[in-house]
Formats: sequence, structure tokens, C-alpha cells
Amino acid sequence: MMEVSFMSYILLAIILFSMGIMGVISRKNIFIIYMSLELMLNSINLILVTLSKHFGNMDGQIIAMMVIAIAAAEAAVFLSLIVSLYRLKHSINIDDYNTLKQKGTL
Amino acid sequence: MSDTIFLILALLALFGAGTMITVSNTVHSALGFIVTILALSGLYALLSASFLFMVQIIVYAGAVIALLLFVIMFLNIQSSHTPKEPNKYLFMLISAIVMLPIDYLLFRAFYTMTDIENFSITSKDFGTVKMLGLELFRNWLLPFEAISLLLLVSLVGAVVMARKKERS
Repeated sequence: MMEVSFMSYILLAIILFSMGIMGVISRKNIFIIYMSLELMLNSINLILVTLSKHFGNMDGQIIAMMVIAIAAAEAAVFLSLIVSLYRLKHSINIDDYNTLKQKGTL
Repeated sequence: MSDTIFLILALLALFGAGTMITVSNTVHSALGFIVTILALSGLYALLSASFLFMVQIIVYAGAVIALLLFVIMFLNIQSSHTPKEPNKYLFMLISAIVMLPIDYLLFRAFYTMTDIENFSITSKDFGTVKMLGLELFRNWLLPFEAISLLLLVSLVGAVVMARKKERS
């Protein structure tokens, strides 16, 4: 019974990861894309914690904690970038963020 | 008993994620993400990672999502500002079809990797603050210091990026 429960944790993490990829591909709102990226990081954390419990080793939990710390650092930089982009473009649609695109070609 | 709790938390996590990637209102989407975060923290508690349970609630639901909601309300995003997405369900279907073989491969890989029967034989203080701190400051000291440096750099970088440009 415990083995079934363990594989269901992995299955849940895999489903959450694909939902994050679906959000990144299909949405145009930059906030929802950011939250989908965070969802992918969280599903990886779930896999790490599950394997840490499975193998009786603390290293998975340490790595998960470091992923959380890096995600917090990334959140600050990403949101400040969104604020400065919104000042420039007055939009949260990713199709409007084309400053680096070369005009005229493609 | 723990299987029932797992089922409830997994359904909550899937419900929150589905709400997050389908709803068009940005604030509602962030609220769905909070549901997913809290359900995942409950799953960490089920997996006897009690310190990560607290860290997930404090850092994600407390700091990251609060910062995200603050930025959404600071920019004053109206529902007329949110981008039109006429065929988002089509793209979701396409990406789900693309992801299905990768998911199957991952599931088979984990299934064969974890065939060894050593689940749930852990000591009583597994995953507590004491064990995690001992492991962190013995074997993972250099990554810990590198992450503290990264947090400092991202703090300075966030302030510099979001600052208003002064006219020169």
C-alpha cells in the first residue's frame, strides 16, 4: 500500500509539471506565465522531497530548500523587471514586449 | 488515513493549478496558485518534512505570492488590460498532447528506479529543524553561503531595476 502511495506522489508531481508547461505555452499574461514557472519549480520540489523520504536521506530536502531560496530571489528580480517593463510598454501582454526584435525582418 | 489526506490534498493541488492556468482574471489566478502552494505544503508534512512545510508556507504563501499580489495591485491591472487569448484552450490541448509521451517516460523511469523496497523506514526526527540544520552546516556549507550571496545580489538588483530613471 505504501508503494502505491509513493508512486502517486510522483504522478501528482508529473501532472503539476505538465500543467505548468501548459500554462507557459498557452497564456499571454506575464503574471500567469511567472506563476506557471513557479508551479514547475514546486513540482520538482515535491519529487525531491518524495525521493528524500524514499531513500531515507536528507539531501533531497536540502536541495528543495535551496530551490525555494533561489525561487524567492528570482521572484524579486522578475517582479521588478515586470514593473519596469510596464512603465515602458503599459501592457502585460507578452506580445507587446518586442523591444529587442529586429524591425522589418520576419 | 494518510491515503485519504493525500487524496484530498492532491485534488486541491490539481484544482488550484487548473484554476491558475485557465482563469483570465490575474488576481483569481494568483489565489488559485495559493491553494496549490498550501496543498503542496501539506504534502511535505505528510512526507515527514516538517521544516520544509513551514518554509513553504512562510516563503511561498507569505513572501512570494504576497509580493506578486502587491505588484498586481500596484500596477492596477484592470480586466480590460488583460490580454485577449482567443485560442488558449487549443494551445493547452496541443501542449498536453506534446507532454504526454514525456510524462509517460518520466513515470516509467521513476517506476523502475524506485523498485527497491525501503520506503518509510526513517528515524523519528527525520526532517526536523535539528537534522536539517546539522546536514546543512556540515555538508552543504558552501552552497548555503553562495545562496546568501545570491540573495544579496538579487536584493540590490531588484532595487536598481525597479527604480525610476532620473532625468539627466
